[in-house]
Amino acid sequence: MSYRISTGRMHDAAIAQVLGRQSALSRTQSQIASGLRVQTPADDPVAATRILELERMRSQLVQFGKNADAAINRLSIAEQAMADLTGLLQRVHQLAVQANNGAMDDTSLRSIATELKTRVQELQDIANRRDAGGEYLFAGFSTQTQPFVRTGGGVTYTGDQGVRTLQISPTQRIVDGFSGAHVFLDIPEGNGTFAVEVGVHAGTASIDTGQVVDSAAWNAAPLPHQYTIRFTDPDLDGTADTWEVLDGNGDPLLDGDGNPVTGTYVAGSAIEFNGIQVKVSGSPAVGDTFQIRPAGRESLFDTLDAMIAALDAPANTPESRARLGTALNQALAQLAQGMDHVINVRAEIGARLSTLDSAETMRADLDFELSGNLSELRDLDYAEAISRMNQQLMGLQAAQVAYSRIAQLSLFDYL
Amino acid sequence: MAEMLSTAVSALRAFRRQLDVTSHNIANASTPGYSRQRVDMTTREPQLMGNGYVGSGVQVTGIARYYDDLLSMQLRDSTSAYSRLEIYSSKAAVLNNLFADSSTGLSASLQRFLNAVQGVANEPSSSAARQVMLSEAQSLTQRLQTYDARLNELDAEINARLKGEVADISAAAENIAQLNEKIAAALATTGQPPNDLLDERDRQLSVLSQHVKVSVVKQDDGAWNVFIGNGQSLVLGNQAARLVTYEDPFGSGRLGVAYQSASGAIAPIDAAISGGSLGGIMDFRREMLDPARNQLGQIAIGIASAANLQHHKGVDLTGAMGGDLFGIGEAVVQGKEGNGGSGSVTVSRTDLGALTPYDYVLEYTGSAWSLRRADTGEAVPMTGSGTAGAPFQAAGLSIVTTGYAPAAGDQFMIRPTAGAIEKFSVLISDPTKIAAAAPIIASASGTNSGTGTITAGEVLDASDPATLRSTVNIVFTSPTTYSIDGGVTNLPYTPGGAIEVNGWRVRIDGVPATGDTFTVKSNVGGVGDNRNALALSDMLGQRLLSGGAESLNDAVTRFVGEIGASSNRANVSAEAQRIMREDAAAAMDGVSGVNLDEEAANILRFQQAYQAAAQIIAISQTLFDTLLAATRR
Repeated sequence: MSYRISTGRMHDAAIAQVLGRQSALSRTQSQIASGLRVQTPADDPVAATRILELERMRSQLVQFGKNADAAINRLSIAEQAMADLTGLLQRVHQLAVQANNGAMDDTSLRSIATELKTRVQELQDIANRRDAGGEYLFAGFSTQTQPFVRTGGGVTYTGDQGVRTLQISPTQRIVDGFSGAHVFLDIPEGNGTFAVEVGVHAGTASIDTGQVVDSAAWNAAPLPHQYTIRFTDPDLDGTADTWEVLDGNGDPLLDGDGNPVTGTYVAGSAIEFNGIQVKVSGSPAVGDTFQIRPAGRESLFDTLDAMIAALDAPANTPESRARLGTALNQALAQLAQGMDHVINVRAEIGARLSTLDSAETMRADLDFELSGNLSELRDLDYAEAISRMNQQLMGLQAAQVAYSRIAQLSLFDYL
Repeated sequence: MAEMLSTAVSALRAFRRQLDVTSHNIANASTPGYSRQRVDMTTREPQLMGNGYVGSGVQVTGIARYYDDLLSMQLRDSTSAYSRLEIYSSKAAVLNNLFADSSTGLSASLQRFLNAVQGVANEPSSSAARQVMLSEAQSLTQRLQTYDARLNELDAEINARLKGEVADISAAAENIAQLNEKIAAALATTGQPPNDLLDERDRQLSVLSQHVKVSVVKQDDGAWNVFIGNGQSLVLGNQAARLVTYEDPFGSGRLGVAYQSASGAIAPIDAAISGGSLGGIMDFRREMLDPARNQLGQIAIGIASAANLQHHKGVDLTGAMGGDLFGIGEAVVQGKEGNGGSGSVTVSRTDLGALTPYDYVLEYTGSAWSLRRADTGEAVPMTGSGTAGAPFQAAGLSIVTTGYAPAAGDQFMIRPTAGAIEKFSVLISDPTKIAAAAPIIASASGTNSGTGTITAGEVLDASDPATLRSTVNIVFTSPTTYSIDGGVTNLPYTPGGAIEVNGWRVRIDGVPATGDTFTVKSNVGGVGDNRNALALSDMLGQRLLSGGAESLNDAVTRFVGEIGASSNRANVSAEAQRIMREDAAAAMDGVSGVNLDEEAANILRFQQAYQAAAQIIAISQTLFDTLLAATRR
């Protein structure tokens, strides 16, 4: 059945058709001009929320990238400082070996001491290095305060032990530096377990830095692990031919059977008790002592200062030469510890830089994926849009032509 | 011959009337609401002439409209539905466009602020990074306030629009009442339908149904009664009622719609209004605008509370404890007009996670206080007793009623989030005041012989800064036990376990030796410390809202998504309804509309009939002449 249609409706409907097609065309045109399929959240609410989320994640990634760049910069500067520090310690090590050969006279020793003094200054300069932003690298959180200052008693650390953590990916954080305390102060003392000190020293004995031969026995020994090795002369012949060990209270140390720990002194042979071993050489005087205590930490500055003090002291008697020898032995051991420590720090820097590297790859992959998703959701398929536009153009033209033809028809023309 | 002449004259007069009406139809071909008219004709009474009834011509019985009650009702209903959706979707589009731009929108502003916080974490002592963070905080504030201002403008626009709507509705009702009176009078006096008046009344009804959904009941005298809402009579015969606006009794300044009967009494009928542009605008306000404003407020509160909470746990570049980073408006409490009691009820927000985007009504029943949601009326249970010591707790709010001496039936409107953004501000202008550092720092003593390490420490509770920042030593009395500064002694040591004292927490790991000491003290000069900036960034990323289900970013995304979805839904429905309305209009037009070709054909037809009738007169003349000529001789 066909419906009756009024003339007004025919015009209205035709115009509405044309307007509708124009509006659709204008939408396509605006999509093509902007290149965006989703122009407001209402166009595709699900895609719109996803787009917001993806854009937020990308913006976050950019910030993580900046954080990572800052961490890489600081770690690289720290790595350079550590490389310089390694060179410096090697030079100091050479000087210590040179001074320890026993044939040096006072003058030569003093000249070594003079070079060492400039090396200490250089060490302080390295420790007080700043990053690109003018912040002290090795000051912990106190980055605006010069961390290493020479006062009367040596170089003291005014920084703190803080380290800064930066976010470098949605799930990763990394520490972007080291506190000065860790790098320059935390060098294990002596052999790392115990340290040896010269006590009463009238003879020509010198002592090495010792070693642990039985760590179970050392750990089982009652605290506080403080001992004094004393040389005595029980046969009263005027030479110290026997050694004994006193505990922290000054009482003779007893072995497992309740007998005092003691022995006959033979120069260069090991003195062993409670799982540790030290070697004394030379001729101690009666009553000479060496003290043993648990190892603490020693600063690199103190190590170098101690070397300078030892080299500056006159070494013109066998006794003073023995003292110098002991001091240089300790300094060499300490320098070795220092170099080990710096190597550890450099390994840590390397590990972090490698983490940063892989984080960067991860970020780049993620960003690629995010932008792919984003483009899929938001960007216009031009081929589709242009063919749609052509269709719409044709439709609009057809609607216009049809209207103009139909509108011209009227029965009145034939009356 | 006299019969013939009289029949021809009746035909001439009838077809002349037909041509008149056809001209009227043609003249009104483009008049909105015009229904084409027709001339109803019938034969005149025949005369008995002995050998049969002889017809005596034609007579006009009346002029009627082509009109269909059912179609016109369908058109009115679909017009109401379409007007509602049209205004709803156009307002929804305003909201949608407001939050549309993904690169400058709320989500992007919030993320830029979070990035700037990370920037400070990156370079805590850089005043440039700090300035960027403040600028981003400012631009986030401006973004929120721009939105809030725009939403307020929309609210004001709706108020103004409501005034216009009720005026238009009242005017149309008045017109219909007057037309009812004229139509009834015309029918009573002539018995003929006053077609053009009927069209005019239909037009007025159509105008009315654009504004609000109406139902029509016909009266025997030709008058139509018009009802709106739940059966409130807008027009009864020749009497019209009025719709008026009234101010919200809780003093929010927003308008509602009330029914004013002929006696002048006013009764709010907001909930009963449906359809039309009035219904659409009120639905939009209730379903989209109010939730949007409250949700935006909730997000702003989330940002401010989380940032402030963490900022208080840090210290700034000068070493002072951090203050509030953002200012935020308090929960709004408005007493109802005519409350009998005196004093004040105080409401504060206490639990961010439990906070909702709804408004609540607190009512004193005469013996107790009760709380219900303002939109749904759903009762909300409260714990506590309303005293300052034990306030009522509900929906993340804490309500103290003891400052108010209530009368039975007193009501308060509580808007937990609506006023938040208006006072949202950045309270810090000096970049050095950003608390990027933690107030404490832990360190291991340089003489420690063990391998124990300590974390730098984090702040759990900064309510007592003096105690928090006091120096505390943790001394190991053996490798497995430690004492804390003379107080507690010989606590068992767990490697990596947390040690919490004075509002801070540190962790010690490794193997400490006897006598090893770790110190926690005030972080002095720690300008390179970024712990609090990092914690701030973490805090703002946590799931703080909706009972721990949503992060701020999630809430923003959902917010924008919901507006987009509502807007999209409104567009689709409006388009569907537009087609239905077009169909109804076409159906109506199919009956009532003028088709010019049809009228042209009618002209031909009636003209020919008229000419034929005229020929009959001529023939009757000829017949008469013939007869005269025959009898002349």
